[in-house]
Amino acid sequence: MTSVYVSGVGMIPFGRHVERTVVDMAAEAACLALQDAGIRPERVEMGFFACAGAARLFGDVTMGQNVLWQVGINRIPVFNVENACTSGSAAFYLAHEAIAGNRIEAAIVVGAEKLYVPGMGLLDSGITELDTQLGLVAPASFALRANRHMLAFGTTPEQMAHVAVKNRAHAGHNPLAQFRDPITVEEVLNAPMIVDPLTRLQCCPIADGAAAVVLCSGSLAQNKDRRVKVDAAVYGTGNYENPQDISRWETDYRVCQKAYEEAGIGPGDLDVIECHDAFTIAEILHYEALGLCPEGEGGRLAADGTVCQGGKVPVNVSGGLLSRGHPPGATALAQIHEIVTQLRQEAGPRQVDGARIGLAHCMGGDKAGDTKSCTVIVLSSKE
Amino acid sequence: MDSETAKQAAPVAPGIFTMPSHDAGLPALLGGYCSRCDRRFFPRPIYCPQCLGPVEERPIGSGGRIHVFTVVRIKPPLGLPQPYAVGYIDMKESGLRIFCLLDPLKVDRLEVGQEVALAVGVLGHDGKGNPRLRPYFTPVERKGGLEDVR
Repeated sequence: MTSVYVSGVGMIPFGRHVERTVVDMAAEAACLALQDAGIRPERVEMGFFACAGAARLFGDVTMGQNVLWQVGINRIPVFNVENACTSGSAAFYLAHEAIAGNRIEAAIVVGAEKLYVPGMGLLDSGITELDTQLGLVAPASFALRANRHMLAFGTTPEQMAHVAVKNRAHAGHNPLAQFRDPITVEEVLNAPMIVDPLTRLQCCPIADGAAAVVLCSGSLAQNKDRRVKVDAAVYGTGNYENPQDISRWETDYRVCQKAYEEAGIGPGDLDVIECHDAFTIAEILHYEALGLCPEGEGGRLAADGTVCQGGKVPVNVSGGLLSRGHPPGATALAQIHEIVTQLRQEAGPRQVDGARIGLAHCMGGDKAGDTKSCTVIVLSSKE
Repeated sequence: MDSETAKQAAPVAPGIFTMPSHDAGLPALLGGYCSRCDRRFFPRPIYCPQCLGPVEERPIGSGGRIHVFTVVRIKPPLGLPQPYAVGYIDMKESGLRIFCLLDPLKVDRLEVGQEVALAVGVLGHDGKGNPRLRPYFTPVERKGGLEDVR
């Protein structure tokens, strides 16, 4: 296997971009990533475009070719990837495979989404699925896990609120995040109830946005000061056995463990983590799957400072999905953007001191009480 | 439920429940069974995921207990009531853990561990305004049990 590096990242601020199209936003992120990598468009040999909702919302398809043509990338294989919230990281996985397997030397992964559209309802896991027809909307799936975790381990609404408070405090230092004003535990608990026990401030808001990543082999990624090595890129789908344990995702544990094995590290080696905090309870469950604490202890960890900026292992220093907002096609690439920025020591006031090893974790979709996809990418700047 | 509407409404999906043949019976969820692997499923898959053999249609029960539930309080999808409740039910006969709707008229009286029975009624629509029959679980009212001792 050839070593693979991230040599460039680009991202536009997440928020309301009512006047912009998906292609327009995606092209800007792609251009920023190419400039950051210092690579000519004609050197890119494979392109990926991640988007979860444009086919459904706008009737638009095969948009990757439209996006990449705008930044001088044409003639090469281009793949359009839809994988719910992990669309971007699943595309990253494919790009990594192509370079690690010596097929190509450079690839670009672009993700974009536009959700601020009239009549946008709740995200679900596909309208033909029986669970969707029986009322399973994304927040309900996480609320069921929260209720089960509270029953099994005594996790409290206050502990869950701490996740939202922490991530919003982190976002105060991230100009790319949509919501940056600090919030309190009381404000989180007193916000309107969405799905018991999750209040509005415990659910990630929607967003318009785009992010992009350029991956290269070692011979192309010559800038050793700014390139970041990919130590693991793992992607797994659910097992869909019945019955499922609703207080965890077995897939989450399985994929995290495989990523640690592939990278040759353990949870204690991580300096900084971005994880899929679509809802506060999700971040707590991911602490446990990532091995940051024993199963059942995630609520305690959320409240004790370990995962705050300045703590032992800061989680979601970008503000996470809870503060950035969640444009599914772009989210996983925004996570990689943050980890790369941290490992380059370029994160300014939100820099985690001396961060050398980082992890980006994403999860997407529901099926039969399990997740449809989980990805973990480990990056490092140690050389 | 308006019985005329119920007669006209189509099931939300084909082959997921049976209606009682007479007034005394209960509706049952309809799942799948692979006799080679002795495995039960809900909903019924096209092939058995273990042996790729055929999966026969088979009822998986009418009752169980609430494993966990939640109440959706925001604007609901598919014309469902506001609020509405959903949860996982541990089915008594088959041991399967099933995601399903819970009785929207009893959202404030649901409890984990509570015994529930399947009902079928017109609940919401198909996304285009056509009413649909959906299965839901409703708490079993115990008659002559401890709850009646005051």
